Amino acid sequence: MKLNKLEIQDLYAFTRKHYVVYYDLQTELVDHLANDIEAMWEEQPQLSFEDAKTKAFKKFGIFGFMEPIEQKQKAMNKRYMRYLWTELKKWFALPQIVITITMFLAFYLAFTTDYAIYFVFGFYILIAVWSGYKGVHLKRQFKKRKEVSDKKWMLEEMIFRQASGSSFFLLLQLHNVFNVSDGFSDNNYIVLSVASIFTFLVLISYISLELLPGKAEELINETYPEFSL
Amino acid sequence: MSNSKLYKGSLTTIILKLLTESDKMYGYEITQKVKELTKGELKITEGALYPALHKLEAEGLLDVEVKKVDNRLRKYYKLTENGTKETANKLEELASYIATMQALVNPKFNLE
Repeated sequence: MKLNKLEIQDLYAFTRKHYVVYYDLQTELVDHLANDIEAMWEEQPQLSFEDAKTKAFKKFGIFGFMEPIEQKQKAMNKRYMRYLWTELKKWFALPQIVITITMFLAFYLAFTTDYAIYFVFGFYILIAVWSGYKGVHLKRQFKKRKEVSDKKWMLEEMIFRQASGSSFFLLLQLHNVFNVSDGFSDNNYIVLSVASIFTFLVLISYISLELLPGKAEELINETYPEFSL
Repeated sequence: MSNSKLYKGSLTTIILKLLTESDKMYGYEITQKVKELTKGELKITEGALYPALHKLEAEGLLDVEVKKVDNRLRKYYKLTENGTKETANKLEELASYIATMQALVNPKFNLE
């Protein structure tokens, strides 16, 4: 005996009730529970759907779906970082490396002038404002996407809602910049590292807030074959 | 399963090995296959299987494919090129582990 459409819907609701919010994991768990229930029915055809469902769920242990949820989150973080890393590497190879070097030199030159500290503040604020603006814009875009379909995809949320996270994390780390005294431009090592950090920050912000969201469709389709089904 | 802790470290190797033998498999199929091959001695728990599969997927060792079966969608896993290479390494590791344990637990005394 096979499960009917209504029972499948019920299983989706069941996974949601057990805190599985993302559609891909819901789908996988629904199929698993359904297979198990069908196997039980072969041996005990009189078993009710509800009882079979409870039995199948119990096999996941006392933590239920918690472990798969947690691991999926970790796996998706890893995937997102891999996409970020792949894009970042391109900026250290031709042709983009020309832009990276130019940017680095511009920062370096700016930070060796008498106005170094103003440049540091200026660039910092510029990046922060741009990241903030893009972050809000992406969140709006995400909301619009959700009006079309309410299925939740972890990677989509990462691309649209958490994109500004990495920039702001780096910006927060950079507060040390402000502890640097006015005379920091005299120390060549500090200037080199501040210029490198700024270059890195610009690249990461640009990739996570502009490039990856631009490629969202492609990345989501690659990650979730069921996305287009 | 008699002692799950002893098998725990080998779960990914077991999954990879099973996937070398068939083109693609889905989660439930893997649990059943293991049960069948070990005659019920080893039961992979659902709570451990999916985390392991997702980890292997994130590491780029597995690729996924989704198909509509009956009234629902089914997610299949298959080995990537890297996955095939890694399986060979993992099997070698496991074999040497088994040999070491064998030597420790059941040493062959040489009287000559």
